[in-house]
Amino acid sequence: MSEAAAAATAYKSSWLNKLDWFVTGDHKKIGIMYLWFAIVMAIVGGGFAGVIRAQLTKPDSGLVTPEFYNQMVSMHATLMIFFVIIPAWTGLGNYFVPLLIGARDMAFPRLNAFAFWLAVPATALMFGSFFVVGGAIQTGWTAYPPLSLAAFSAGPGVDMWLMGIIFIGLSSILGAINFIVTVANLRAPGLRWFKMPLFVWAWFINATLILVATPVLSSALAMLLADRVFGTSFLTVAKGGDPLLYQHLFWFYSHPAVYIMVLPGFGVISHVLASFAEKKIFGYKGMVFAIMLIGIIGYMVWAHHMFVAGIPPSLQIFFSYMSMVIAVPTGIKIFSWLATIWGGSIRFTTPMKFGLGFIFLFVIGGMSGILLANVPVDYQVTDTYFVVAHFHYVLVGGSIMSMFAGMYYWFPKMSGRFLSEKLGTWVFWLFFVGMNVTFFPMHIMGIQGMARRVFTYRPEFQSLNELSSAGYLLMLAAGLIFVFDVLKTAFFKKGTLPADPWQINHVQNTLDWKVSSPPPEYNFLKIPTIE
Amino acid sequence: MKTKSIFLFLGLAALFLSGCSGGHPGDITNWLQNPATPLAHEVRHSFYFTLYLILPFLFIAEGLLIYVILRFRKKPGREPAKFHDNPKLEIAWTIAPAITLVFVAVSTYGLIGRINYSPESDMQVEVTAQRFLWKYHYPEYGITISEQPLVVPEDKVITLLGTSVDVIHSWWVPAFGIKRDLLPGRIVETWFKAVKGNYKGQCAELCGPLHAEMLIDVSVVSQEEFEQWVKQKLAEKNAPADSTNNLQTSGSAETK
Repeated sequence: MSEAAAAATAYKSSWLNKLDWFVTGDHKKIGIMYLWFAIVMAIVGGGFAGVIRAQLTKPDSGLVTPEFYNQMVSMHATLMIFFVIIPAWTGLGNYFVPLLIGARDMAFPRLNAFAFWLAVPATALMFGSFFVVGGAIQTGWTAYPPLSLAAFSAGPGVDMWLMGIIFIGLSSILGAINFIVTVANLRAPGLRWFKMPLFVWAWFINATLILVATPVLSSALAMLLADRVFGTSFLTVAKGGDPLLYQHLFWFYSHPAVYIMVLPGFGVISHVLASFAEKKIFGYKGMVFAIMLIGIIGYMVWAHHMFVAGIPPSLQIFFSYMSMVIAVPTGIKIFSWLATIWGGSIRFTTPMKFGLGFIFLFVIGGMSGILLANVPVDYQVTDTYFVVAHFHYVLVGGSIMSMFAGMYYWFPKMSGRFLSEKLGTWVFWLFFVGMNVTFFPMHIMGIQGMARRVFTYRPEFQSLNELSSAGYLLMLAAGLIFVFDVLKTAFFKKGTLPADPWQINHVQNTLDWKVSSPPPEYNFLKIPTIE
Repeated sequence: MKTKSIFLFLGLAALFLSGCSGGHPGDITNWLQNPATPLAHEVRHSFYFTLYLILPFLFIAEGLLIYVILRFRKKPGREPAKFHDNPKLEIAWTIAPAITLVFVAVSTYGLIGRINYSPESDMQVEVTAQRFLWKYHYPEYGITISEQPLVVPEDKVITLLGTSVDVIHSWWVPAFGIKRDLLPGRIVETWFKAVKGNYKGQCAELCGPLHAEMLIDVSVVSQEEFEQWVKQKLAEKNAPADSTNNLQTSGSAETK
């Protein structure tokens, strides 16, 4: 061993090396930090959901004050969207996009680190807002003015929330630029666009969505902040502003945000299903075009969130029809996934269970989406629990299920250790059953007329709400087992695995399964060539 | 796992169907069970029409998924299939949903118009939303009520002109098939023509801490009962002080 190598080994085991996490630009370390961040935030956000479900177990439980209940409603959504789902995909993307395209790192490692560390001030503002006069934001995550204006939401809570989202939005934008440049420029020789694995395609299109949409959200929030703090009148009616302007800008981001939260999941599912059915992905090009179409049409549907808000009928019809159109590429994806596993040799590993569960749930979420795109039906069920059921089927059944699939699928690559298959089976069944028990009854509550964002309801809805709260406990158990297993495997298990621990690369033939588990620093000693 | 998934699937399907046809008999907040206006009947029809068109796709997709799970488990000696595209199939599953959605889309076109443009009005009521109560003004009679049920005659086209004095609220009575956001600085219009009965609704846009208690009650009564009610309200109004004072105090208590 040379002197330099000995010094390197000594450094690696020293405490100084641990500090490296704070200054690293390594895409794999940043990816892992994003994932830890998302797990911690999911525990808090899931806890907030617990407060909501506990309060709603009885029509008039009086467990928390209406003010605190509204804080929980607002913060549960905020955390789950901006601090769990989006960062978790950014984490998996950070780790695996460079690996899958044969690059040694992201194009801009320091920008990457900066984007991640922006989450710290954002998180501090979010949690800090609970302790200021007036408390955290109570307006729902939509923060519609005039409710969110100073006249009705006094105190710095809303200002801190706005600043926090602007910070985390900036983080998203910088990350998106990094992904686009990385995929465009750092692909290994021979990796043409239409040879890229679907996770890379999904993330590339996702990044373009983030780059176009997020600045619009930031500008809407900036207007709101300016109205609150500087007394401008973008959205203040009494001074000639228009609250509907905010709603348009907000949903111009927040509808594409739904796709931002699920497109990387589409990529993951494509990898997982093909791997464990031992078949190549069906209709690769169709899959790519379907993601692109979803991305493009996703920009033309935002006002379907505003059918009752006061937009002309002609516009309602346009946005209604576009919303239905988006079901077509989504259908292409579902059927292509089914064709992928058709005739395969399916191994029911934990990631595969989550992959199959994803299809089951996402289809249901898609169907209720078509009912919501029907304008007259939407008039009835918008702002009711039907909508809550719909978007939880899409976000929990879609995003979270595919995220579990991705975590179980790639955990051996990231850590060199398998997560427990036995516990994984428990996590899957508890989560899958719990998810349905929690959210399916909400369809019925909504149709029967239970409004959303309410701390109390008419007694006739009690039994369904009890069922829903019981389902929460199953999901909670699943979450706790998962966190326990991740902690145990990450910190208390030893060892490494071969490059292809699932024995799937004869099907996948992707670069992530050609490097050691975990991959070495800078991934590839020699940049691979794809033939 | 096999049996579990089958039971789960059947259970869910049953739950979904029961959710559409079930509910509490006599519960007049349920628009699927007891639509009280022609519009609500049409909305219910549109709901079922859409549901029945898309349910086959739900059952096909979930059915295929379950079939694959049961049929293509890895077994020694069986090789996985090799195909990975089939243009005809791909075209078919693009076209079939598209055509179905055209039917859904076309079916809603007329109804959107009928909801948004009211027929000739028999009576106007001005609705003013204020955190956390509703005020109704009957311009023809000069009556204003607050924190009381809206009383209207049956089988008449009632046009509501709504606005808000503070934040955005939403006037929603499920059995009438209508919901409209009331925004400050704007006047929005909606309408209904209901059969006799007492109906419940509530504010459907988060408007503050007591949003959940911003309830709506509507009494749809016969023409004679309505005229009697108008007389009574006018008498109250002309009798000095009492009732108007009450209105003011309750109003200012709420705005605090």
